[in-house]
Amino acid sequence: MVNLNVADIQGFVLRGYNFPFARYLLLELEGPEKGRDFIGRIIPHITTGQRWENKPQSTVNLAFTHKGLARLGLPDATLLSFPVEFFQGMKGRKEILCDTGRNSSENWDEVWRNDVVHVWLGVHALTPEALEEGCAEMERIMQGTGGAYLRQAQDAKAVFIDNKPSSKEHFGYTDGFGNPDFEGADRHSQPGQGKLTKEGDWVPLATGEFVLGYPDEAGELPVAPVPHLLANNGSFMVYRKLHENVATFRDYLDEQSRHYAGGKEKLAAKFVGRWRDGTPVELSPDAPDPAIAADPKRNVNFTFGRDLDGVRCPIGAHVRRVNPRDSAGFHGLLVNRRRISRRGLPYGEYVPEGEAVSDKDDRGVIFMVLNSSIFRQFEFVHQQWIEYGNDAHQGSDKDLMLGNHDGSGKFMIQGSTDPQNPPFVCARLPQFVELRGGDYFFMPSLTALRLIADNSVDPR
Amino acid sequence: MTNINGKTYAMNAITPMKAFYTPILQLIFFLLGHVKAGQADLINLSFIHFARWVVVKRHKFPRLSDSQPEEQLHYDYLLFFSNFNGSWNQYIDAFADVLSIGLNLIWRWSVRYPGARPVTDFKRYIALVQFDTDYYYVAYPRAAANDVKAAFRVNDALEDFARASKDMTPAEFGGAYLKFVTQVQGDLGATGIGPVGA
Amino acid sequence: MPNQSGNVYGLTILSPIIHGAAGDISHDCAIRDYLAGLPRDHRSLFAKVSSTHLARLVVMDDVVFVGTPAREEHLQSKYLVFETNFDGDLDTYLERMAREAPEEVHAVWQHCVGYPGVKDPAAFAAYMKKCQIETTYFFADVNNKTVQQTLRALKLQSGVAHFIEANQGKSASEIQTAFRQFLEKVRHAPEPLAGEYEGHPHLPARGAGATGRTDPLAEESEGHHG
Repeated sequence: MVNLNVADIQGFVLRGYNFPFARYLLLELEGPEKGRDFIGRIIPHITTGQRWENKPQSTVNLAFTHKGLARLGLPDATLLSFPVEFFQGMKGRKEILCDTGRNSSENWDEVWRNDVVHVWLGVHALTPEALEEGCAEMERIMQGTGGAYLRQAQDAKAVFIDNKPSSKEHFGYTDGFGNPDFEGADRHSQPGQGKLTKEGDWVPLATGEFVLGYPDEAGELPVAPVPHLLANNGSFMVYRKLHENVATFRDYLDEQSRHYAGGKEKLAAKFVGRWRDGTPVELSPDAPDPAIAADPKRNVNFTFGRDLDGVRCPIGAHVRRVNPRDSAGFHGLLVNRRRISRRGLPYGEYVPEGEAVSDKDDRGVIFMVLNSSIFRQFEFVHQQWIEYGNDAHQGSDKDLMLGNHDGSGKFMIQGSTDPQNPPFVCARLPQFVELRGGDYFFMPSLTALRLIADNSVDPR
Repeated sequence: MTNINGKTYAMNAITPMKAFYTPILQLIFFLLGHVKAGQADLINLSFIHFARWVVVKRHKFPRLSDSQPEEQLHYDYLLFFSNFNGSWNQYIDAFADVLSIGLNLIWRWSVRYPGARPVTDFKRYIALVQFDTDYYYVAYPRAAANDVKAAFRVNDALEDFARASKDMTPAEFGGAYLKFVTQVQGDLGATGIGPVGA
Repeated sequence: MPNQSGNVYGLTILSPIIHGAAGDISHDCAIRDYLAGLPRDHRSLFAKVSSTHLARLVVMDDVVFVGTPAREEHLQSKYLVFETNFDGDLDTYLERMAREAPEEVHAVWQHCVGYPGVKDPAAFAAYMKKCQIETTYFFADVNNKTVQQTLRALKLQSGVAHFIEANQGKSASEIQTAFRQFLEKVRHAPEPLAGEYEGHPHLPARGAGATGRTDPLAEESEGHHG
């Protein structure tokens, strides 16, 4: 049993908080001395991974780009010891990520085009008032030290339905299932979140897949920057602002469902592998089942082993692509090192089904990933399983929802002779999601933050 | 990058072996070649078109003329050539995760081989013993091994369907066609461009 | 027989490269230089020797020093490694190389010791066999289909996917008519070219602006693209 030093790990590494409001402050650091002073003043505000007796009104977490660490004056040997993808930043990885065409950086928000983002300061809050207060405190520290400038404040908030925060995003899907379960995670683990044993039981993944300094699924300490003290209890974060073309999506779904015998909601479910209420298609292929969707013991608890033909959940459906579970063979061994921990919230105004909406409106999802290796985990899943289909035996076909489509791609829905579940080709896929910015970040432990603030990072 | 053509990567590796061990390895290969199960995992991984191991004994480097100096080697050499789909890292990760026993059986006789797990040391060793391809040709560069196998399944199904449906009425044809589609529906992934080798 | 797996032959040849210079460039550099400019697509010498599934040429400079306690040692000669996977028997293949791609074969192997020229294919084959190393263990995922069968199958697979998409939602008799036409097209489709690929061989698909998919059986293979 792994004992995580939760007081040293930033809370955001371990869990997503589930707060309905957030503001992501994207900062440029002034220089090494004032920057370090700023970090030092922020440290007492950082939310750690410790369990809460009483839920705070807001939380604060902090992460750096490579340029941010360089601006703080970390030693060159340390800077060079970070993985190359982190050094290059997300913009530098565009070939690997297929961030080309409409996803290319020319179309990004200005703040992400110009390499000015050094710090991500994430403030999550229970209420809008608590959010303003939390951000104001951060502003005061920025002003007081003169160590950082606010370059952009990205707001995000849950979609409210009947005045209550939901887990829906703008396409109407209920999101937020299936975050990986790992040793020492100390949260209510759900069957289906971890990895499969040969006997078919679900057990937690190795901690080192998500937190540096602990053994990972390969039986070693994950590759990490030096010194250990800087790396341990830290993690890497991917931040992607994903614009959603809601009008295009609704039009496409409407048009395709006119020809699809199973109906519109079933078609929408086949795209993703979950009905829009969250019910896994694998468990309930014919209709959504709110009881399953609401039950943590069931809503991620499924495998594809008895559906290798994809007749229930299409082989290329989103959830199946990004986590093949047992359908990749070898008792899931090929999947265990490709898991990612996801965070995020929608941004922009939610428009209910039936009301007028435009692709030009500013709305989408702020999508974040926590993992100990951006290259091996996030980039791999994105490049090989979203933007490509070979491992799913779907050739060069891309993921319907997230793929960078040029209008010629297709999505095959496997079916049967049941008239309600026919085989169906969704052709000429438009691009539903466009990238509007983001970068790669390092989210250090509290100890590492102190090391940085004290300017005592010492590579071997 | 000349190691890659379309969806396939050409890896070359050479490792030294103490001559004493070579017959053991040759015996292992002989056994592997005669035991079908030895190939089953490779076939299931399904991302290698062709791969081979070649033992070159120290006195067996080809010598075609007296003017060509004789090799004076202490070690025998194991050459490895693979034609695989996916990136270098993905390939080695998959082997280390799934086939480490087989890999160790083959490479433990090579000097300073660290074992397939933990994978980081293994990758370092491979990077040391790998040498780059100068010219790589693939007759079907837009197809991965999966695509090739899927294509043959689709072909067989089409031939059967074409034969069976020759004289059907439209109504019969409709039913038979639906069955045909359900037969091939998992094998219709597009061939084309693959991801950049990371 | 370890060189063979099913119908596929796994040939491994190590040709010693002539030591020293050919003019102002060494023989091994001359090979590398030449190979760098050679097309790898349907114009490749191996597309001409069309029974070739996958083939590579590698100039092997030396063995590797893996670190103490290994002994340091070096090869006296560099070797041109030729690894190829092809249909049919060895002699036929080697003679085809000499007959069907004489220019490229000569340009490469003229830098190797004992090379007799390409004018006499049997002599060339004999020379190559002198440099052959027995493949100790050969794995072939698919070992019972020729190159031509593979290319045709891939084209047909693409055609079937397109057909299913184009006829989705039509009536049974419409599909039946279209299917008969499809089979006709398949029967008369031109032989696909070995080694052909479109665009850059290993960059991901661009965003908006790339061409939409067309019916692959409607394409004429006029030796387009490069």
